[in-house]
Amino acid sequence: MNSIPGTIAAIDTDGSLSLVDIDVAEGTTMTALIVETPECCPWLRTGHTVQVVFKETEVSIARNLSGLISLRNRFPATVSNIRCSGMLAEICLDFVGQQIISIITNRSAQRLQLKTGDQVEWLVKANEVSLTAK
Amino acid sequence: MIEINVTKRLHTAEGPMDLVFSADVDQGEFITLFGPSGAGKTTLLRMLAGLTTPDKGTIIVNDQRWFDSTRRVNQPPRQRSIGMVFQDYALFPHLSVAENIGLALPRQKRRTVVNELLNVAGLKELAERKPDKLSGGQRQRVALARALALKPAILLLDEPLSALDLNMRLNLQEELLRLHRRYQPTTLLVSHDLSEVFRLSRHVFVLDKGKVTRSGSPAEVFSRSQISNKFRFTGEVVHIEPSGVVGIVHVLVGQDVVQVIASEQELATLTVGKRVLIASKAFNPLIMPLAG
Repeated sequence: MNSIPGTIAAIDTDGSLSLVDIDVAEGTTMTALIVETPECCPWLRTGHTVQVVFKETEVSIARNLSGLISLRNRFPATVSNIRCSGMLAEICLDFVGQQIISIITNRSAQRLQLKTGDQVEWLVKANEVSLTAK
Repeated sequence: MIEINVTKRLHTAEGPMDLVFSADVDQGEFITLFGPSGAGKTTLLRMLAGLTTPDKGTIIVNDQRWFDSTRRVNQPPRQRSIGMVFQDYALFPHLSVAENIGLALPRQKRRTVVNELLNVAGLKELAERKPDKLSGGQRQRVALARALALKPAILLLDEPLSALDLNMRLNLQEELLRLHRRYQPTTLLVSHDLSEVFRLSRHVFVLDKGKVTRSGSPAEVFSRSQISNKFRFTGEVVHIEPSGVVGIVHVLVGQDVVQVIASEQELATLTVGKRVLIASKAFNPLIMPLAG
């Protein structure tokens, strides 16, 4: 799983759901949609340090993405390694000094003509992002 | 309040092992002892019951000294207010259900208490049956009713449900919770079954090689990190199947085997037999009613 440290910057709660913004680097904020509220969860507080956790298979990769998209978790990164085996490909990305891994189909990796050093964007839906307290 | 503070040297197949256990248990609590075989769980129950003598320490139950090695106090089992249920149904084969439940009761109270327990434990229809005419689940229900008959201060349960099939086990877990709520005996349960630990107990002690390695609420003890996910289970890795850049990890959760995709980094931390937490986002699972 991908796991990057961050600091909770904002929490928007509605019923049992919270939309949590987490600063993961200078000027870079990720968003997580979780079934949790600050009342029930002692570490869900602005300023608290958390790990932002999401599965490799939930990370999409885009090249020259244009137009509007609902996802707000989209970040530039550099391809640092590619490993293909069978149906799937593991793409390692360098994202503000953190490693992000994306597992996509080999077919998609071929279609994007990905190679080491490429500038790409990676994307993950907010509802696929989990938080853990340290 | 039960104050337990005991040590005992045990001679196991792997050589000598010191069992060390120390805990204060509040009146009416439901505690589980969890851990591999040979960890000392049953010995601990036997020491509370007075069937095994600790080398050193004290057992104080509601201010009564059951055992104190320095004062040479060691109450015999019959003077300790204890109810016990073990995995094998130790019912008297020649006595009926009602007679088994009432066996230890004084004559004048017998009828009232037995009738109440027959009612509460749903055994009324079976009162006159002999144990060999009962199912495994019914026998354990009788054993439980009998253990509660004397309103013991402590109820000791040594894997009482482990020989039953899943449905019967779930039924009896409910039953056990209901009886515990009604009579509130301080209960110590030995269990291998994680789902049982989560369902029944508020506090768990994990024993390994005679020592308590972790203790706390089941959620604190078995979910290592504080994770936001609401869709999560604990289980045991039963099989790992490599598939290209990922692996398919088969995890036994309760009675079901589920499959989880793991990356190479994750696979490096997993082996068959390892206990794991699996979590997904609550947004992810599909949900659909079953026919019937």
